[in-house]
Amino acid sequence: MFSSTFLFCDHLTGERASWLAAVIGAAVGRCPAGNPGRVNIFLTGDALFSLVDARARPAWAALSGLPSVQVIADADELRLQGLSLPGSTWTPGARVTGTGDRGSFWGELVSTLEREWGGTKTAAFLLCSSPYMSRVPVYMLRFLAQAVEAGLHPELYCYLDGVHTLHDGQRPSEFENIGRGVSALAGTAVHSCRDPWFAACSRCATARGYYQMNPGTGFCEPASCIQDIAIRNLKEILARFPDRHPVASHASGESVPTENEKEGAPHLVVFITNPPYGTEWTFGGISLAIAAAAEGIPTRVVFIEDGVYALYGTHEVPENDRIFNIQEMIEATTDIDGLSYFVHAPSLDDRGIDRKGGFPAAKRVTNEELSSILFSAKDGSTPAPAMRVLFF
Amino acid sequence: MESDTMEANDAKDFTELTCTNLMIRLKILLNKVSQGDVVTFYATREQVDNTCSPFSRQGYQVSWTQTAENRYLVRIGR
Repeated sequence: MFSSTFLFCDHLTGERASWLAAVIGAAVGRCPAGNPGRVNIFLTGDALFSLVDARARPAWAALSGLPSVQVIADADELRLQGLSLPGSTWTPGARVTGTGDRGSFWGELVSTLEREWGGTKTAAFLLCSSPYMSRVPVYMLRFLAQAVEAGLHPELYCYLDGVHTLHDGQRPSEFENIGRGVSALAGTAVHSCRDPWFAACSRCATARGYYQMNPGTGFCEPASCIQDIAIRNLKEILARFPDRHPVASHASGESVPTENEKEGAPHLVVFITNPPYGTEWTFGGISLAIAAAAEGIPTRVVFIEDGVYALYGTHEVPENDRIFNIQEMIEATTDIDGLSYFVHAPSLDDRGIDRKGGFPAAKRVTNEELSSILFSAKDGSTPAPAMRVLFF
Repeated sequence: MESDTMEANDAKDFTELTCTNLMIRLKILLNKVSQGDVVTFYATREQVDNTCSPFSRQGYQVSWTQTAENRYLVRIGR
């Protein structure tokens, strides 16, 4: 038996809704009769369009038809997007929360996660998107504000473009000031005797100019940064992951076996969903997975949706280009203890990609097998581990 | 002496890589070197301690010399 919660803030395609429905359906099907587990899927931001998208509707209908699955939509964002409140004709089973009360969608998410993690004292958000270009930092602030209100210690991990949150002197004319929001959140937390732990990845911060070498000392120092977020290496950020607390993100999930609510460090599943080189998502996701495994966190990387292109063909980096060859990166790290690679077979099939004879480093998995990875079953006397799921 | 200078001149500067990315880069480079060959590069003290030294437990010869404050010329070979 398990309890599982997903949060989606970004565009959620029909493809993702379909495989999620198949994977969750398989997990619920494996549960003993009368004890089907619990799955909560929280939707906000662009993910809400999925509820009205004809390509995704059959999947939502299938999910909502499962008695143990709840789809929870953010009422404020529904109104913002011009989406009429869902009726039973197109989103059977979807529930709307937050009407007239901005905090309640996030409040319900935080209380669900708190319950799932059996008395956690912390809630964290992994922020990978930059303020203003993306609305995800606004959701991060709402989530962490609710965490503080619930008496939890807020933690923020800025990664990839999320490190732009660090920038001092943000002054948006039309949007919520994210830098100021983070500082206010830190202040509120301290005022409530909570301990905020806000960090930004040093590699990402260095690349974006927020962490510069002081030639006098030979060490890097923050440059133009707000003081409430410390620049730390990824290893230090990942050292927070063995603690049993939720880590939400723009697209994230978790599965906590109910017989194991208070024991054992959570494992990690990283979904690579983007093509390999056009953005930093694939490199960032694999880097985080490798670093997590090196820290002793059992980690599975699943290439899925457009992420399967990372395994297509044979990549050759031109001599004058400075970029990691993703395929070499995967092949060189297959011997790391606790790290394993998988590729989602339906994503390959949908794209007409035939991997016969190519890339044995990543094991092909069906939806049923993916379901076993995400919602692991108890193995004899060994309790099933809790899983954190992050989408890149 | 001359070969030491050439080695230092040819060495890549990996001081700005994170420990994880240095580990990945070294694994890729070491997969390509033949028996007896050496990979030479510059690293920081933290990289030497956290990333380079552990390669000695995997059967590689690892050595380094300090060339400046927090800058080391590292050699890893099969």
